[in-house]
Amino acid sequence: MDIILNQYYLQIAIFVLLNAILGVSIYMTLSTGQLSLGNAGFMSIGAYTCAILTVKAGFPVYLAIPIGGIAASFISIIIGFPALRLTGIYLAIATLGFGEVVRVVILNLKITNGALGISGIPTLAAKIGKVFSSLGLSNGIGGLSAQQVSNLMVLVVLILVLAFLVFFCTRMNRSRVGRAFAAIKADEAAAEAMGINTTFYKLLAFALGALIAGIAGGLSAHLTFFIGPKDFAYNRTVEILTFAVLGGSDLIIGPIVGALLLTLLPELLRSASEYRLMIYGALMVAMMAFRPQGLISEETVRFWKGKLGRRVKQ
Amino acid sequence: MFWQQLVNGLTLGSTYSLVALGYTLIMGVLNIINMAHGEIFMFGAFVGLFLVTYLKVNIFVAMAGAMVAGALLGTLMEIVALRPLRRRAVSELAPLISTIGVSIFLENLALKIFGPQSQAFPSGALSGAEMQLGPVRISLVQIVILGISFGLMFILRFWLSKTRVGKAIRTTAESIETANLLGINTNKIILLTVALASGLGGIAGVLVGLSINAVEPTMGLSMGLKGLAVLIFGGMGNITGAMLGGLILGIAEVFTVAYGASSYRDAVAFGIIILILFIRPQGIFGSSTRQGGRF
Repeated sequence: MDIILNQYYLQIAIFVLLNAILGVSIYMTLSTGQLSLGNAGFMSIGAYTCAILTVKAGFPVYLAIPIGGIAASFISIIIGFPALRLTGIYLAIATLGFGEVVRVVILNLKITNGALGISGIPTLAAKIGKVFSSLGLSNGIGGLSAQQVSNLMVLVVLILVLAFLVFFCTRMNRSRVGRAFAAIKADEAAAEAMGINTTFYKLLAFALGALIAGIAGGLSAHLTFFIGPKDFAYNRTVEILTFAVLGGSDLIIGPIVGALLLTLLPELLRSASEYRLMIYGALMVAMMAFRPQGLISEETVRFWKGKLGRRVKQ
Repeated sequence: MFWQQLVNGLTLGSTYSLVALGYTLIMGVLNIINMAHGEIFMFGAFVGLFLVTYLKVNIFVAMAGAMVAGALLGTLMEIVALRPLRRRAVSELAPLISTIGVSIFLENLALKIFGPQSQAFPSGALSGAEMQLGPVRISLVQIVILGISFGLMFILRFWLSKTRVGKAIRTTAESIETANLLGINTNKIILLTVALASGLGGIAGVLVGLSINAVEPTMGLSMGLKGLAVLIFGGMGNITGAMLGGLILGIAEVFTVAYGASSYRDAVAFGIIILILFIRPQGIFGSSTRQGGRF
């Protein structure tokens, strides 16, 4: 048990889940066919709002994280209204610009502590640990140390968040909203002709993506003890984009698988970890050339379903 | 003070224009945004630096070398990352993502080869002479930058509008299919355009490296983003727009620094992007009918 649950594996699992949540955030906007490169910016808004609330205003974590997400979502609506008149590459560039503006503003504001960032953020694990010790369980449960238990609890929280998001998205895809998203993705002009309010649905997808990114930002602030403006720079955006590019953005499972692979690979190939970003770059080029729809597309699922289905019949 | 800042702004702006021209050429012909342009620019700067520092060549030879290196990188990128995407119908986001991949690759390759630290051109590369022109103090470096960037811009304009190859490029920009029907080898023309745009980026790298006297692997990102700002500001695929937009951005940045908010310098470009996208998404010189396509 100790071998499986050591600190290192738990840490990696936590990062995998966090990245998977970020993957869902980019999937949200991509599901209307819009590429938003502002996810790192929204993530930083969420992370900073949340960190400032807990460190400086003493808010409880479970309140601060949703507030961070809502703040990111609110700002996304403000910039999204005009920006979503833009399509395709224009939107990508505008949101990329937005991310940079957020970074520069955070770098210069007093409350965000500039380039030094905010440190001393209470980590989720520590909070949970405190709860446990107040329950008189400071020696751990069932042979697990208190630290392992609190890390496990963090993992459970993240799994719950991710599971909820996946549930939400799959339910949404079968609803009026999800069908509107799919119609806009397939052909925006045709969708509009069918009476779909494209601006509203695009804005909705954009705001939902920002909300998820903001929540992921808040979670990441409370996982790592420290946040700085460099954590949410252009590289972060590219990393999030790579999840969707590798895994595919047709189905929600795509970006999650992408996040899983791309977080685990550098850990497995420790020796190659300094080439990580180079590999990301090459991967993006190769994927676009050979498999622009990503590893997992609807056809892939249909193909495997067909194959496995036949085997069951035999 | 005002005139001095204006000259500084023009110098900075002319390098932005040169970078934005690279974006514009590719945007005009291929209708894609080459996100790797900034990194090609950075490689140009490093090649120039290498030539001056280790091979002790003249700075102008180094610029030519940087141009060749940029053009080679551009050619390679066209063959590896762009051509495969043209063969099949993919969404317009595919080339964007593909070139983001190239840019990430090149930036980290540069970090690996040249190291993360910032390097400077040797002091003898260009004499530090300064001239007093009325109220303005202008250095030799600034004169070289202004001269070369304006010279290149006018040569490019003339070349595109008057020569046979220039005409072929403009035709390809109008419509690749029609150009094909008219007997233009569009693959060759596209390759040429990408190489030319990247070559301009390479020279701009040396010029910027000279002016701020620092060459580092991350310079490509910030410069690339600014070139992008100019591209949108001036109108996509519009050469006049790229030239004037670059100058305006340069002047705006210098004045922001001179009159107060120096730490917000990098936000000026994006403030401009966001503002222009809201007010006039086609850019100040763009026409509202079509994206790109014309010079």
